[in-house]
Amino acid sequence: STSSVLSTEKDKSAVSKDGTTEGASKRQEDTAGSAKQKLLDIIGNMKVEVSYRKKLQELKAKKQAMSRPEGMDSENPQRTTEGIQRGKPLNPELVKAASAVASSFPLNKKQTESELLAQLRRHEETTDKQRKGGTVNIRNVISEMTVKRQSPAQRGVRISNRISLDLDEDGQRIRPERFSSQSFDSRSLKVGKRLNIFTKASTEPEHALKTVSSPTIWDLEFAKEIAAITAQPPRNGFEEMIQWTKEGILWEFPIDNEVGMDDDAEFHEHIFLEKHLEGFPKEGPIRHFMELVICGLSKNPYLSVKQKIEHIDWFEKYFEEKKEFLQEI
Amino acid sequence: MAVGALCWALRAARQVLPLPCPGQVRGYYVDWRMLRDVKRRKLAYEYADERLRINAIRKNSILPKELQEVADKEIAALPRDSCPVRIHNRCVLTSRPRGVRRRWRLSRIVFRHFADHAQMSGVQRAMW
Repeated sequence: STSSVLSTEKDKSAVSKDGTTEGASKRQEDTAGSAKQKLLDIIGNMKVEVSYRKKLQELKAKKQAMSRPEGMDSENPQRTTEGIQRGKPLNPELVKAASAVASSFPLNKKQTESELLAQLRRHEETTDKQRKGGTVNIRNVISEMTVKRQSPAQRGVRISNRISLDLDEDGQRIRPERFSSQSFDSRSLKVGKRLNIFTKASTEPEHALKTVSSPTIWDLEFAKEIAAITAQPPRNGFEEMIQWTKEGILWEFPIDNEVGMDDDAEFHEHIFLEKHLEGFPKEGPIRHFMELVICGLSKNPYLSVKQKIEHIDWFEKYFEEKKEFLQEI
Repeated sequence: MAVGALCWALRAARQVLPLPCPGQVRGYYVDWRMLRDVKRRKLAYEYADERLRINAIRKNSILPKELQEVADKEIAALPRDSCPVRIHNRCVLTSRPRGVRRRWRLSRIVFRHFADHAQMSGVQRAMW
């Protein structure tokens, strides 16, 4: 029915164009800005997207076209039909060429010309579609498509993974879990419209609660109870080792030689301890003795700087207490 | 045998008061001798630094002898159990004073018992 409609419309245009092709093109250029032309152009453009919509709008346009040419000049039906037909009118050169070819044919000139024009228009349609509505079509298609499209491929991947992987010692399979997580990432849970089912939990009252309540004994007991209940026995050697590491039985690997040794002091604080000897007399056996002590401490890697200072301070106290005794000597 | 039975009967009770939990906690050492050894070890740990420093003064050729004699008296005044020499390495499980292997802190009998039951890691009956 559409093709027949097309042919009748194009017969009209062909008839009109046989006589006045140039005139028609001129008139099109002159009256391109008319509101009706615009409307019809819009309708014609809208027709490019979906075939069903095309048909509906064609019918509407036909009704308009039929109603208008009743009370209008001969020029308008040309433009309306041309506008209806498909957006852009064909090049006048192409039309001329089509008419020349049709005239060369011995058979029905009008039919051949109409068919040629129809083919030209189809070419125009396709180019228009590709320019305007091609991307839109793809978008419509993808939006209509459901998420399940990827599942058969993913299933195949999962199955192949299960078959090909070797079981670990404990029968756990770490890799397929990674793959499944990756598959979920490719689906991207965060994409899509928000359903707004859950309301965001506000964080402010939480902070307020924490600051207000100090941990009571009952809270501590409750926490201990929960920890005791949730602490399941280790399922395998790995979990046992994890538990031991947490308790401190097992060291952390790679082994850190300075675990538990938080010596913030630099090397010069360990070695140059003479500044702590200010409380002692500068000459005498005590000074000699203390210098030896300092020499020994500077070579000691096991004590911290604090301990060394305490050592020296103890000697200072001891000798101060014995000052009177020493002076008697 | 009777002595052993008596020893087993008279288990050394040890009350530990300064613990975080509110109630009383009683732990048992194998016997009183072991308890005394534990006390000696604790005191030795507490007085270790002081003893070291006073001995440094004493075992000295630079300081005057009078000072060293005073230091002698001071170190003698410290509690007797604070000296590390009084510590005796007893078996950890049976408190046996003799036949204790230092590496395992166990008496030879206990060691043999565990080794035969394959509860000592890396220990095997010698055969060559």
